[in-house]
Amino acid sequence: MSAPATAPAAAGHHEPSKFHFYIQVAMILSVVTGIEVVLVYLPLAKWFVVTTLLVLSAGKFMAVIFYFMHLRWDKVFCTILFFIGLVLAGGTMWALLHIFGADASKPLSAAALELARLAVA
Amino acid sequence: MSSHAATGHIDHHHDHTTSTGIPNKKLLWWAFLASDCMFFGALISTHMVYRLNPPPGNAVPTQVFNIELTSFSTFILLMSSLLMALAVNAIQRGNLKSTRTMLLGTMFFGCIFLGGQVYEFEHFVHAKKMTLSNSIFGSTFYTLTGTHGTHVAIGVLLLGMMYVRTFKPANGGGLFKNFAHLLAIGVTFGVAFIWFVPGLIEVIYGLPIGDLMRRAAIPLAVGAAGLLSLFWFGRSRGAVEFGEKNAIDVEAIGLYWHFVDIVWIIIFTAVYLLEYL
Repeated sequence: MSAPATAPAAAGHHEPSKFHFYIQVAMILSVVTGIEVVLVYLPLAKWFVVTTLLVLSAGKFMAVIFYFMHLRWDKVFCTILFFIGLVLAGGTMWALLHIFGADASKPLSAAALELARLAVA
Repeated sequence: MSSHAATGHIDHHHDHTTSTGIPNKKLLWWAFLASDCMFFGALISTHMVYRLNPPPGNAVPTQVFNIELTSFSTFILLMSSLLMALAVNAIQRGNLKSTRTMLLGTMFFGCIFLGGQVYEFEHFVHAKKMTLSNSIFGSTFYTLTGTHGTHVAIGVLLLGMMYVRTFKPANGGGLFKNFAHLLAIGVTFGVAFIWFVPGLIEVIYGLPIGDLMRRAAIPLAVGAAGLLSLFWFGRSRGAVEFGEKNAIDVEAIGLYWHFVDIVWIIIFTAVYLLEYL
Protein backbone atom coordinates (compact mmCIF):
# COMPACT_ATOMS: atom_id res chain seq x y z
CA MET A 1 0.00 0.00 0.00
CA SER A 2 1.45 3.40 -0.88
CA ALA A 3 1.11 6.28 1.52
CA PRO A 4 -0.89 9.37 0.43
CA ALA A 5 0.90 12.60 -0.58
CA THR A 6 -0.06 14.22 2.71
CA ALA A 7 1.99 11.73 4.80
CA PRO A 8 4.80 13.28 6.88
CA ALA A 9 8.08 13.50 5.00
CA ALA A 10 11.05 13.60 7.42
CA ALA A 11 13.84 11.60 5.79
CA GLY A 12 15.43 9.12 8.30
CA HIS A 13 13.95 11.01 11.25
CA HIS A 14 13.14 9.08 14.41
CA GLU A 15 11.00 10.54 17.12
CA PRO A 16 12.91 11.30 20.36
CA SER A 17 13.75 8.20 22.37
CA LYS A 18 11.56 7.59 25.39
CA PHE A 19 14.23 5.41 27.06
CA HIS A 20 14.80 7.59 30.12
CA PHE A 21 11.10 8.41 30.40
CA TYR A 22 10.20 4.71 30.59
CA ILE A 23 12.85 4.13 33.26
CA GLN A 24 11.39 6.98 35.31
CA VAL A 25 7.86 5.60 34.98
CA ALA A 26 9.06 2.14 36.03
CA MET A 27 10.83 3.56 39.09
CA ILE A 28 7.66 5.42 40.10
CA LEU A 29 5.61 2.23 39.66
CA SER A 30 8.08 0.32 41.85
CA VAL A 31 7.93 2.94 44.59
CA VAL A 32 4.11 2.91 44.49
CA THR A 33 4.12 -0.89 44.78
CA GLY A 34 6.39 -0.62 47.82
CA ILE A 35 4.05 1.94 49.37
CA GLU A 36 1.09 -0.39 48.82
CA VAL A 37 2.85 -3.31 50.55
CA VAL A 38 3.87 -1.18 53.54
CA LEU A 39 0.43 0.43 53.79
CA VAL A 40 -1.40 -2.80 54.67
CA TYR A 41 0.78 -3.24 57.74
CA LEU A 42 0.20 0.27 59.10
CA PRO A 43 -2.35 0.75 61.92
CA LEU A 44 -4.65 2.98 59.86
CA ALA A 45 -8.42 3.02 59.36
CA LYS A 46 -9.57 0.20 57.06
CA TRP A 47 -11.58 2.55 54.79
CA PHE A 48 -8.51 4.75 54.32
CA VAL A 49 -6.22 1.84 53.43
CA VAL A 50 -8.73 0.32 51.00
CA THR A 51 -9.34 3.65 49.28
CA THR A 52 -5.61 4.41 49.06
CA LEU A 53 -4.85 0.94 47.67
CA LEU A 54 -7.57 1.30 45.04
CA VAL A 55 -6.36 4.77 44.05
CA LEU A 56 -2.70 3.68 43.87
CA SER A 57 -3.61 0.58 41.85
CA ALA A 58 -5.73 2.65 39.48
CA GLY A 59 -2.83 5.06 39.10
CA LYS A 60 -0.42 2.25 38.24
CA PHE A 61 -2.99 0.80 35.83
CA MET A 62 -3.38 4.14 34.02
CA ALA A 63 0.38 4.73 33.91
CA VAL A 64 0.97 1.36 32.24
CA ILE A 65 -1.82 1.72 29.68
CA PHE A 66 -1.13 5.34 28.77
CA TYR A 67 2.66 5.29 28.78
CA PHE A 68 3.92 1.72 28.29
CA MET A 69 1.02 0.79 26.01
CA HIS A 70 1.33 4.11 24.13
CA LEU A 71 -2.32 5.18 24.45
CA ARG A 72 -1.05 8.67 25.27
CA TRP A 73 0.46 8.99 21.77
CA ASP A 74 -1.97 6.90 19.72
CA LYS A 75 -5.31 7.80 18.21
CA VAL A 76 -8.05 8.28 20.81
CA PHE A 77 -10.13 5.47 19.27
CA CYS A 78 -7.72 2.91 20.78
CA THR A 79 -8.44 4.37 24.22
CA ILE A 80 -12.18 4.30 23.58
CA LEU A 81 -12.04 0.70 22.38
CA PHE A 82 -10.12 -0.50 25.44
CA PHE A 83 -12.28 1.46 27.85
CA ILE A 84 -15.43 -0.09 26.39
CA GLY A 85 -14.13 -3.49 27.50
CA LEU A 86 -12.95 -2.07 30.82
CA VAL A 87 -16.31 -0.44 31.58
CA LEU A 88 -18.18 -3.63 30.65
CA ALA A 89 -15.85 -5.66 32.88
CA GLY A 90 -16.22 -3.18 35.74
CA GLY A 91 -19.99 -3.12 35.36
CA THR A 92 -20.13 -6.91 35.37
CA MET A 93 -18.00 -7.02 38.53
CA TRP A 94 -20.24 -4.46 40.24
CA ALA A 95 -23.37 -6.38 39.27
CA LEU A 96 -21.98 -9.73 40.43
CA LEU A 97 -20.79 -8.33 43.75
CA HIS A 98 -24.23 -6.84 44.39
CA ILE A 99 -26.12 -9.95 43.33
CA PHE A 100 -24.04 -12.25 45.49
CA GLY A 101 -23.91 -9.73 48.32
CA ALA A 102 -27.71 -9.86 48.75
CA ASP A 103 -28.88 -11.63 51.91
CA ALA A 104 -30.59 -14.41 49.96
CA SER A 105 -27.32 -15.21 48.15
CA LYS A 106 -25.04 -15.42 51.17
CA PRO A 107 -23.77 -18.91 52.08
CA LEU A 108 -25.31 -20.42 55.19
CA SER A 109 -23.22 -20.69 58.33
CA ALA A 110 -22.07 -24.16 59.41
CA ALA A 111 -24.88 -24.42 61.98
CA ALA A 112 -27.56 -23.38 59.47
CA LEU A 113 -26.16 -25.84 56.91
CA GLU A 114 -26.42 -28.67 59.46
CA LEU A 115 -30.02 -27.69 60.33
CA ALA A 116 -30.95 -27.61 56.65
CA ARG A 117 -29.36 -31.04 56.12
CA LEU A 118 -31.26 -32.50 59.08
CA ALA A 119 -34.52 -30.96 57.82
CA VAL A 120 -34.08 -32.63 54.44
CA ALA A 121 -33.15 -35.95 56.05
CA MET B 1 1.34 -1.88 8.84
CA SER B 2 2.40 1.65 9.85
CA SER B 3 2.50 4.13 6.99
CA HIS B 4 5.80 4.41 5.13
CA ALA B 5 6.42 7.68 3.31
CA ALA B 6 8.51 7.80 0.18
CA THR B 7 11.39 9.38 2.12
CA GLY B 8 11.72 6.30 4.43
CA HIS B 9 10.24 7.70 7.64
CA ILE B 10 7.88 5.28 9.33
CA ASP B 11 5.08 6.75 11.45
CA HIS B 12 4.73 4.15 14.22
CA HIS B 13 1.57 5.61 15.68
CA HIS B 14 -0.61 6.25 12.65
CA ASP B 15 -1.47 4.51 9.39
CA HIS B 16 -2.92 6.85 6.79
CA THR B 17 -3.93 3.90 4.58
CA THR B 18 -6.65 2.68 7.00
CA SER B 19 -10.02 4.37 7.54
CA THR B 20 -9.38 4.77 11.29
CA GLY B 21 -5.80 5.98 10.91
CA ILE B 22 -4.77 3.13 13.21
CA PRO B 23 -2.70 0.15 11.96
CA ASN B 24 -5.02 -2.85 11.64
CA LYS B 25 -2.81 -5.10 13.75
CA LYS B 26 -2.88 -2.58 16.59
CA LEU B 27 -6.68 -2.20 16.37
CA LEU B 28 -7.11 -5.97 16.47
CA TRP B 29 -4.96 -6.30 19.59
CA TRP B 30 -6.77 -3.51 21.42
CA ALA B 31 -10.11 -5.17 20.61
CA PHE B 32 -8.80 -8.50 21.87
CA LEU B 33 -7.46 -6.93 25.08
CA ALA B 34 -10.83 -5.25 25.67
CA SER B 35 -12.45 -8.70 25.51
CA ASP B 36 -9.79 -10.18 27.78
CA CYS B 37 -10.68 -7.49 30.35
CA MET B 38 -14.12 -9.03 30.60
CA PHE B 39 -12.61 -12.51 30.94
CA PHE B 40 -10.47 -11.52 33.91
CA GLY B 41 -13.25 -9.34 35.30
CA ALA B 42 -15.44 -12.43 35.62
CA LEU B 43 -12.68 -14.45 37.30
CA ILE B 44 -11.76 -11.67 39.73
CA SER B 45 -15.45 -11.12 40.53
CA THR B 46 -15.92 -14.80 41.34
CA HIS B 47 -12.97 -14.75 43.69
CA MET B 48 -14.15 -11.59 45.42
CA VAL B 49 -17.75 -12.84 45.74
CA TYR B 50 -16.52 -15.88 47.69
CA ARG B 51 -14.08 -13.81 49.75
CA LEU B 52 -16.72 -11.28 50.80
CA ASN B 53 -19.14 -14.07 51.75
CA PRO B 54 -16.93 -17.06 52.53
CA PRO B 55 -18.60 -20.42 53.04
CA PRO B 56 -17.75 -22.26 56.28
CA GLY B 57 -14.53 -24.27 56.36
CA ASN B 58 -12.73 -22.01 53.88
CA ALA B 59 -8.94 -21.63 53.92
CA VAL B 60 -7.60 -18.51 55.68
CA PRO B 61 -5.57 -16.57 53.09
CA THR B 62 -3.20 -14.81 55.50
CA GLN B 63 -2.11 -18.22 56.82
CA VAL B 64 -1.40 -19.39 53.30
CA PHE B 65 0.10 -16.43 51.44
CA ASN B 66 3.74 -15.40 51.35
CA ILE B 67 3.44 -11.66 50.76
CA GLU B 68 7.20 -11.09 50.48
CA LEU B 69 7.51 -13.49 47.56
CA THR B 70 4.38 -12.12 45.88
CA SER B 71 5.61 -8.52 46.28
CA PHE B 72 8.90 -9.54 44.69
CA SER B 73 7.00 -11.22 41.82
CA THR B 74 4.98 -8.04 41.31
CA PHE B 75 8.16 -5.97 41.12
CA ILE B 76 9.66 -8.45 38.63
CA LEU B 77 6.59 -8.26 36.38
CA LEU B 78 6.71 -4.44 36.47
CA MET B 79 10.36 -4.51 35.44
CA SER B 80 9.54 -6.95 32.63
CA SER B 81 6.97 -4.41 31.41
CA LEU B 82 9.73 -1.78 31.40
CA LEU B 83 12.00 -4.02 29.33
CA MET B 84 9.16 -4.69 26.89
CA ALA B 85 8.56 -0.94 26.46
CA LEU B 86 12.30 -0.49 25.87
CA ALA B 87 12.23 -3.30 23.25
CA VAL B 88 9.47 -1.50 21.35
CA ASN B 89 11.36 1.79 21.70
CA ALA B 90 14.50 0.13 20.33
CA ILE B 91 12.87 -1.44 17.25
CA GLN B 92 11.06 1.83 16.46
CA ARG B 93 14.53 3.33 16.18
CA GLY B 94 15.85 0.41 14.11
CA ASN B 95 18.19 -0.83 16.87
CA LEU B 96 18.00 -4.61 16.36
CA LYS B 97 20.67 -5.61 18.90
CA SER B 98 18.97 -3.67 21.67
CA THR B 99 15.58 -5.07 20.66
CA ARG B 100 16.89 -8.63 21.00
CA THR B 101 18.47 -7.90 24.38
CA MET B 102 15.29 -6.34 25.73
CA LEU B 103 13.12 -9.17 24.37
CA LEU B 104 15.37 -11.72 26.09
CA GLY B 105 15.28 -9.67 29.27
CA THR B 106 11.48 -9.53 29.17
CA MET B 107 11.30 -13.29 28.71
CA PHE B 108 13.80 -13.87 31.52
CA PHE B 109 11.86 -11.69 33.96
CA GLY B 110 8.61 -13.35 32.85
CA CYS B 111 10.16 -16.72 33.68
CA ILE B 112 11.20 -15.47 37.12
CA PHE B 113 7.58 -14.46 37.71
CA LEU B 114 6.31 -17.83 36.46
CA GLY B 115 8.87 -19.65 38.59
CA GLY B 116 7.57 -17.77 41.60
CA GLN B 117 4.05 -18.85 40.74
CA VAL B 118 5.15 -22.49 40.34
CA TYR B 119 6.88 -22.39 43.73
CA GLU B 120 3.84 -20.70 45.29
CA PHE B 121 1.40 -23.30 43.92
CA GLU B 122 3.65 -26.20 44.96
CA HIS B 123 4.03 -24.73 48.46
CA PHE B 124 0.29 -24.08 48.85
CA VAL B 125 -0.61 -27.62 47.77
CA HIS B 126 2.05 -29.57 49.65
CA ALA B 127 2.76 -27.47 52.75
CA LYS B 128 -0.54 -25.62 53.24
CA LYS B 129 -2.76 -28.44 51.91
CA MET B 130 -4.82 -26.03 49.81
CA THR B 131 -5.79 -27.61 46.49
CA LEU B 132 -8.05 -26.70 43.56
CA SER B 133 -10.85 -28.88 44.90
CA ASN B 134 -10.71 -28.96 48.71
CA SER B 135 -11.95 -25.41 49.32
CA ILE B 136 -13.84 -22.65 47.52
CA PHE B 137 -10.91 -20.31 48.16
CA GLY B 138 -8.53 -22.78 46.50
CA SER B 139 -10.84 -23.15 43.49
CA THR B 140 -11.23 -19.43 42.84
CA PHE B 141 -7.61 -18.58 43.70
CA TYR B 142 -5.97 -21.23 41.51
CA THR B 143 -8.38 -20.60 38.62
CA LEU B 144 -7.71 -16.86 38.67
CA THR B 145 -3.95 -16.88 39.21
CA GLY B 146 -3.51 -20.01 37.09
CA THR B 147 -5.29 -18.35 34.18
CA HIS B 148 -3.11 -15.29 34.60
CA GLY B 149 -0.01 -17.51 34.77
CA THR B 150 -1.09 -19.23 31.56
CA HIS B 151 -1.39 -15.83 29.90
CA VAL B 152 2.16 -15.00 31.05
CA ALA B 153 3.45 -18.33 29.72
CA ILE B 154 1.80 -17.70 26.34
CA GLY B 155 3.36 -14.25 26.39
CA VAL B 156 6.81 -15.74 26.97
CA LEU B 157 6.21 -18.12 24.05
CA LEU B 158 5.13 -15.24 21.77
CA LEU B 159 8.19 -13.23 22.82
CA GLY B 160 10.39 -16.23 22.07
CA MET B 161 8.87 -16.52 18.61
CA MET B 162 9.41 -12.80 18.02
CA TYR B 163 13.02 -13.10 19.22
CA VAL B 164 13.72 -16.01 16.85
CA ARG B 165 12.05 -14.08 14.02
CA THR B 166 14.63 -11.28 14.40
CA PHE B 167 17.24 -13.76 13.11
CA LYS B 168 15.41 -14.66 9.88
CA PRO B 169 17.95 -14.20 7.04
CA ALA B 170 17.30 -11.46 4.48
CA ASN B 171 18.03 -13.85 1.60
CA GLY B 172 15.44 -16.41 2.71
CA GLY B 173 15.84 -19.94 4.08
CA GLY B 174 16.84 -20.77 7.64
CA LEU B 175 13.50 -22.42 8.46
CA PHE B 176 15.02 -25.48 10.15
CA LYS B 177 17.51 -23.33 12.06
CA ASN B 178 14.69 -21.07 13.26
CA PHE B 179 12.70 -24.07 14.51
CA ALA B 180 15.78 -25.40 16.30
CA HIS B 181 16.36 -21.93 17.77
CA LEU B 182 12.75 -21.78 19.00
CA LEU B 183 13.12 -25.25 20.50
CA ALA B 184 16.25 -24.16 22.36
CA ILE B 185 14.38 -21.09 23.67
CA GLY B 186 11.47 -23.27 24.78
CA VAL B 187 13.71 -25.77 26.55
CA THR B 188 15.84 -23.11 28.27
CA PHE B 189 13.01 -20.97 29.52
CA GLY B 190 10.79 -23.95 30.31
CA VAL B 191 13.49 -25.42 32.55
CA ALA B 192 14.02 -21.94 34.04
CA PHE B 193 10.49 -21.48 35.31
CA ILE B 194 9.63 -25.09 36.13
CA TRP B 195 12.82 -26.17 37.90
CA PHE B 196 15.49 -23.48 38.16
CA VAL B 197 13.57 -20.52 39.63
CA PRO B 198 11.36 -22.56 42.02
CA GLY B 199 14.46 -24.49 43.07
CA LEU B 200 16.36 -21.28 43.69
CA ILE B 201 13.50 -19.96 45.83
CA GLU B 202 13.50 -23.19 47.85
CA VAL B 203 17.26 -22.84 48.38
CA ILE B 204 16.73 -19.28 49.59
CA TYR B 205 14.15 -20.62 52.04
CA GLY B 206 16.54 -23.22 53.38
CA LEU B 207 16.66 -26.23 51.07
CA PRO B 208 20.26 -27.56 50.78
CA ILE B 209 21.65 -27.10 47.27
CA GLY B 210 22.62 -30.79 47.25
CA ASP B 211 18.94 -31.78 47.63
CA LEU B 212 17.99 -29.54 44.73
CA MET B 213 20.72 -31.03 42.54
CA ARG B 214 19.64 -34.58 43.43
CA ARG B 215 16.03 -33.77 42.57
CA ALA B 216 16.49 -31.68 39.44
CA ALA B 217 19.96 -32.49 38.07
CA ILE B 218 18.78 -33.76 34.69
CA PRO B 219 16.36 -30.92 33.87
CA LEU B 220 18.89 -28.32 35.02
CA ALA B 221 21.58 -29.93 32.85
CA VAL B 222 19.22 -29.90 29.86
CA GLY B 223 18.41 -26.25 30.58
CA ALA B 224 22.11 -25.38 30.79
CA ALA B 225 22.70 -27.08 27.43
CA GLY B 226 19.78 -25.10 25.99
CA LEU B 227 21.26 -21.88 27.36
CA LEU B 228 24.64 -22.62 25.77
CA SER B 229 22.96 -23.35 22.46
CA LEU B 230 21.25 -19.96 22.62
CA PHE B 231 24.69 -18.29 22.56
CA TRP B 232 25.48 -20.26 19.41
CA PHE B 233 22.15 -19.47 17.75
CA GLY B 234 22.41 -15.81 18.78
CA ARG B 235 25.69 -15.11 16.99
CA SER B 236 25.58 -12.68 14.08
CA ARG B 237 24.93 -14.49 10.79
CA GLY B 238 24.73 -11.67 8.25
CA ALA B 239 21.82 -9.53 7.08
CA VAL B 240 18.38 -10.24 8.48
CA GLU B 241 15.00 -9.19 7.14
CA PHE B 242 13.72 -7.94 10.52
CA GLY B 243 13.91 -4.21 11.06
CA GLU B 244 12.11 -0.98 11.87
CA LYS B 245 9.27 -1.92 9.49
CA ASN B 246 8.41 -4.78 11.89
CA ALA B 247 8.04 -2.47 14.89
CA ILE B 248 4.25 -2.89 14.77
CA ASP B 249 4.65 -6.62 15.46
CA VAL B 250 6.87 -6.05 18.48
CA GLU B 251 4.44 -3.38 19.69
CA ALA B 252 1.54 -5.82 19.35
CA ILE B 253 3.29 -8.40 21.54
CA GLY B 254 4.14 -5.55 23.88
CA LEU B 255 0.48 -4.65 24.23
CA TYR B 256 -0.31 -8.23 25.28
CA TRP B 257 2.57 -8.27 27.77
CA HIS B 258 1.61 -4.96 29.36
CA PHE B 259 -2.00 -6.15 29.62
CA VAL B 260 -0.83 -9.21 31.53
CA ASP B 261 1.03 -6.83 33.85
CA ILE B 262 -1.97 -4.58 34.50
CA VAL B 263 -4.15 -7.61 35.27
CA TRP B 264 -1.57 -8.65 37.87
CA ILE B 265 -1.65 -5.13 39.35
CA ILE B 266 -5.37 -5.66 40.01
CA ILE B 267 -4.95 -9.25 41.21
CA PHE B 268 -2.13 -8.32 43.60
CA THR B 269 -4.27 -5.65 45.25
CA ALA B 270 -7.63 -7.44 45.26
CA VAL B 271 -6.48 -11.00 46.02
CA TYR B 272 -3.37 -10.52 48.17
CA LEU B 273 -3.08 -7.08 49.75
CA LEU B 274 -6.71 -6.63 50.81
CA GLU B 275 -6.52 -9.88 52.83
CA TYR B 276 -4.06 -8.28 55.25
CA LEU B 277 -6.44 -5.53 56.43
